[in-house]
Formats: sequence, structure tokens, C-alpha cells
Amino acid sequence: MEIGGYVGKILRVDLSNGKTSVEELSRSFIEKWVGGAGFGARYLHEEVPAGVKWSDPENRLIWTSGPLAGSGVYGAGTFNVASKGPITNLAGCSQANGYFGAYLKFSGFDGIIFQGKAPSLVYLWIMDGKAEIRDARPLTGKDVWETEDVLRKELGVKEKDVSIYGIGPAGENGVLYSAIVGDRGHLAAHNGLGTVMGSKNLKAVVTYRGKRNFQIKDPERLKERNEALFEHAKGFGPFYQWGTGGGFSSLYGIGCLPVKNFITNIFPEHERMNGQYMRTHFEIRPMPCYMCRVAHVKEVTVTEGPYKGFVGEEPEYEQLAAWGPQIGNIDLGAVVMLTREVDRLGMDCNEASWTVGWVMECYEKGVFTKKDLDGLDMSWGNVGAVKAMLNKIARREGVGNLLAEGVMRVSQKIGGEAADWAIYTLKGCTPRSHDHRGGRWAELFDTCLTNTSTLESTWAGVHPQLVDIPAVTDPFSHEEVSTLNAKFNGIRQFDDCLGTCRIASTHPKLQLECLNAVTGWELSLEDAFNIGRRVINQLRVFNFRQGMKKEEERPSLRYGSIPVDGPAQGKNIMEKWDWMVKNYYTLMGWDPETGKPLPKTLEELHLKDLIKDL
Amino acid sequence: MIRVKLEIWMWLGKELEEDFQSLSEMRSIREEEVEEGITIRDFIDRLAQRYQPIREKVFDRGRKSFYPHIVATLNERVISPYEVYDRVLKDGDKITVLPMYVGG
Repeated sequence: MEIGGYVGKILRVDLSNGKTSVEELSRSFIEKWVGGAGFGARYLHEEVPAGVKWSDPENRLIWTSGPLAGSGVYGAGTFNVASKGPITNLAGCSQANGYFGAYLKFSGFDGIIFQGKAPSLVYLWIMDGKAEIRDARPLTGKDVWETEDVLRKELGVKEKDVSIYGIGPAGENGVLYSAIVGDRGHLAAHNGLGTVMGSKNLKAVVTYRGKRNFQIKDPERLKERNEALFEHAKGFGPFYQWGTGGGFSSLYGIGCLPVKNFITNIFPEHERMNGQYMRTHFEIRPMPCYMCRVAHVKEVTVTEGPYKGFVGEEPEYEQLAAWGPQIGNIDLGAVVMLTREVDRLGMDCNEASWTVGWVMECYEKGVFTKKDLDGLDMSWGNVGAVKAMLNKIARREGVGNLLAEGVMRVSQKIGGEAADWAIYTLKGCTPRSHDHRGGRWAELFDTCLTNTSTLESTWAGVHPQLVDIPAVTDPFSHEEVSTLNAKFNGIRQFDDCLGTCRIASTHPKLQLECLNAVTGWELSLEDAFNIGRRVINQLRVFNFRQGMKKEEERPSLRYGSIPVDGPAQGKNIMEKWDWMVKNYYTLMGWDPETGKPLPKTLEELHLKDLIKDL
Repeated sequence: MIRVKLEIWMWLGKELEEDFQSLSEMRSIREEEVEEGITIRDFIDRLAQRYQPIREKVFDRGRKSFYPHIVATLNERVISPYEVYDRVLKDGDKITVLPMYVGG
């Protein structure tokens, strides 16, 4: 391929008939969609027409790398998974780090499109431009860590010789919030992409390491800009030193830590559960992603409390919040244990903890009795019962079968007052593990208006100056937040096209310079924004074609409620919600009444062909 | 004169040394006696003039404002930065400053 950073090939796997084929990527397609989320969004629209259900064999599961993956940019081993997901019944775009994004290219492909459904459980083996569908029936019921162990042994390869991503029991059993998990603890977690994988009887994908087989157009410039990118990442926030848990206490200080399903914002134990505490008290070993020098991913051994001696991946911020304050747990060792449990079962920790936290509130208030919950005492902080419940969910056993539907569906089924306590957006997806009613209104708004099922437009509203946009002065200003989200939208989706990690690539302009060095392009920041906006508008048209309603771009009653205590007590985002939405639609070039992209907007983004689909 | 406090959640205990009381590894606090009528802006600016870590990491003396990623609370309630600067402090008030991170 003449453009640097690309192999120029897509692997198509028809699981129904067991055939694989290779398709060439055209220069114009690459320049328009770049890779990752861009490739995924376009293929999804072209190949999944209106009315195809998420579980239909005709749904697609699209794994795509990006031009920077494997290029030498530090930590660039990321890939994107796109599909129509079961949680929202709309598009899902989710990224995982590790090694896969780099290894897939080294093995000969920029992406894989899965279609159809295998007659029995299979896995895919990829090496040197060839792919083979193999029997995975002996892996039935195995968790994702066991799956990696068995496959490495069967293939006779060492740990880093291959990258393996797959599903656990949750994905096999149709839990709606199943994740695709691999490379020892990385996840494409949102919108049930692992559930789609399970519906296709696809247990795992294994790709061999291989060697770099694509051009780098300006290696000297890449080397120099890559160093600058690393230096920026080192000094950016607490991540290099303390991991994503380094921001845990700060989030508490502005009312953003989710505590007991939002019934309070008081959590005085936060300093015994943050990244600083973990890295100064537990034993830490690095587990870096592909060529990563930031290396924020670690393995930990618990050194105190009931789980002393337990070894697991270090919880990221979202897992610290999900299995700490959200379920009323104050033991950090138990957070490590539950993090490992959810990952190995193959579920999204966010949806799982919103569901479990809601069950705990219902139990406290008498909506559920112990008998209703198969004998489990779901009192706040009872981590043993939570572990047992997660296993029931993953296997759809007893009450776990109900909870496997996710918090929106189960709360609506139970009904009554309890229905008002669940945290979700009316599209069905759940927020990341924050209380966005605190100083993160930008993320609450983004989560409700997203087209990807997870964050679309912002980095939580923080640091827009990096892309020449002024910071919000007041994080509780309805006007500023909705305007910022519209101005910001684009760069994040562009980033999701590249195959890089957001923690390692923290400066968009430096990242863009790396991209230009790899590809030989000379894209400007404005070009980058336009590419990202093209991806967003493509996903939005896909979603409207699949039945999305603008009325669903709202938080549930509890998610949009007013905090009763803590630093953000009394703040009310819903006071001007409708105005915010209309302001955002207008600034995005969408019809302020319907939320649909205007023909002029689509034309400007070279998406004229989509006008007919609205 | 009134007494007011500045609490910083930024692991600056070692850099601020004994002038600030260490509440934990993360939290440092200092109580000051100041004249009545002083605004939050002037109070923080005064401390930034005196302490290098505050002017380098918390308050931009050139622009007379917090650095963009700093959030402030007054008596443990997040307050609008518009309001922060011109609010006149009362006896017993406590300003807390903390960083807002992109990640997590």
C-alpha cells in the first residue's frame, strides 16, 4: 500500500459458510475514513440495513486497526470494534488497547469483518496474511483468562507471540452487556459487543505477532514527534505516576464519585481507595501495552485486608468507582478481586455495577428480599454476595437471568418506584462509573447524546485548550457545556480512528504530527475535526435508520436528578435540558427540532449519499 | 480581621513544607488571618506570591485566575469560577482547590 501506516487489506469472515476472503482497501476509502471507528462506522452503514436485529446473523462485527497501530508510536496497539449492539439497539463503537491493533496489521490486515453465524463455537487464527476458522467447542464455558491459556498452549506459542481477544461465559450466555476481552485484561466493553460475538458463536480471535509490513513515510520526523508526545503524556495529569486511579480523590472532591447508586455523595474513605494509595501499599508490576513507555497498566498483589495475596490487574478508575463507592465497599483488595471477576467472566464493569448498585438499593428499601435474590444478602458492601451475583448473571442462573438484561430493562420490568432509581440514558446505555451530576455535566450531556453508545464528543469537557478551544469557565453552565460539547465534537472520533491509546497519546496536535509522519499526509487540525465529524454524522444517520428517537436523548430520572448532598448539592442540569439539546443540535448542523443532520451538513462532510437515508 | 483557610488536594505537602499542615499525603491546609473585605482572588493571589508551588500549579498570577484544570470549592461546595473570584470571604470560610483530570 502506497500510503504509510496501512497494509491495505480487509479480511472478511463468513461464519455461516466458513469461508474467508480478502478485500483491497482503496486510497479514497482510506483518506475519507482513516481507520478504526471511521472504517467501522462506514462498513456498518453499508452492510447492516434497517431492521436487522443485533442478534441477526446479518449483523456485522467489525474489528479495525488504525494507521498508527504498530507504527512505533508508544502504546499504539489499539483497535476498534463496531456493531449494532444489544444495549441500545443502535451503533456501538468501543476500543481496546493491548497488542491486537498492531499484531493484526503485522499479520496482514487492517481489519476484519465478521458476518453470519457459525454452526458451533469457533475461533479465528490469523498469521502471515492467512486466516483459518477452527473448532472452539473445548473452550465452551471457559473464562477469558483460561481461554488465553488454553489457546497459547494448544498453539505452542509464548505469551507475547500472539494477541488473543475473546468472550467469557457472559458472551456465550447472551448477557446483554458482555465485553470482548483480551491481552490479559483489556476490554472493548460498551454496548454488548461481546454479546454480538457470542451470538455468532465466535469464541476468540488469535493473531500472530508477525513483522511490520507497511511503510513509515518519514521515520525521522516520527521519532522526534513520538518523543514529544511521550514527554507530554508523562506530565499530563496523574496517569504516568499513579494510573487512572490517580484522579479518584479529585473526582470525589467535585462530587463526581458515584456513591451507593447516587443516594449520597459522601465517601470519606476515598483516600484509601485511590491510585496513590494502591501504588504505595500494594505490590505493583508493569504490564505495558504494545511498545508503551507510559505503561499505566499494571498487575497488583493485594497486601492487606481479607484479600491479602490476591493477584489481579490493577483496577482502572472506572473499576475503582464501580466496585468501591457505587456498591458501598471500602476495601481496596475487594475491588481488585471484583475487577478480576468481572473481566474474567467477560462483562462491562460499568453496566454491571449500575445493575448491582440498583439491586442493593432495592434490597435496602425492601423491593427485593433475600428470597427474591436466590438467598444472597445484597447489603451495601457485601462483596462476597456481589461476586456470587456476578457469576449468576454471567451464567443467567436464577435471578441472574433477569439482571443479565441490564439496568434499564430490569428496572422497567420491576416497575413502581424502583424504576425511578436506575441510572441509564433513555437510549439504554449507561454512563462510565462517575456521578456526572457533579462537575462533569459535559460527560452527562455527551453520554445522552452520543451516537457511539459511549463518549463521543468530549474528554469530560476537560482540556479543550489542547485543540484551541477555550475551557469552560463554569462546569455548571447549561450554555457553556452544550456549546463546548458541540465545538469539541470531532477530535475524539478522529482519535478513535488511529489505533492509539488516549492515556499514551495525550496531545492531539502531536498525535496528528505523528500521523502525518507515518502516512505522508499533511492533515491540519481542521481536517482532523472534519474527519471526526464525518464519522459522527455517519453513525447518526445509521442510528436514525435503525429507529433512534430524539426523545431518547435524555438521562433517566435518577441519572439526571439533583444531588442531595456533597460538593454539587442542589445543581440541576435538567432545568434547561431541552434548551441545551436544541443549542447542541443547532451548533452541530442538525435540525434543531428533529436532531437529524441537515443536508447541508452532510454535503459539507462529503456525505451527500446519506441524505436519502434520512 | 478574619480567619480563612486554603486547602490543597494536590500532593504538595513536601513542597509546601511546614507552612501548611498536612492532613494526609494528598491534602495540605493553611489558615490565614486576613483583612475583612478581601476577595477569594486576592486571597489566593497573595498565597501564590508567597509560595512557588501555588503559583506554578494552582493560580496563574499573570492572568489573576486559576489554571484551567483547577476546580475550587467554597466550604465544600463546588462554586462557579465566575463567582469564585469576586466573592468576599467571611470569617471561617474554607477554599479547597483540586485538579480536574481528563481521564478516569
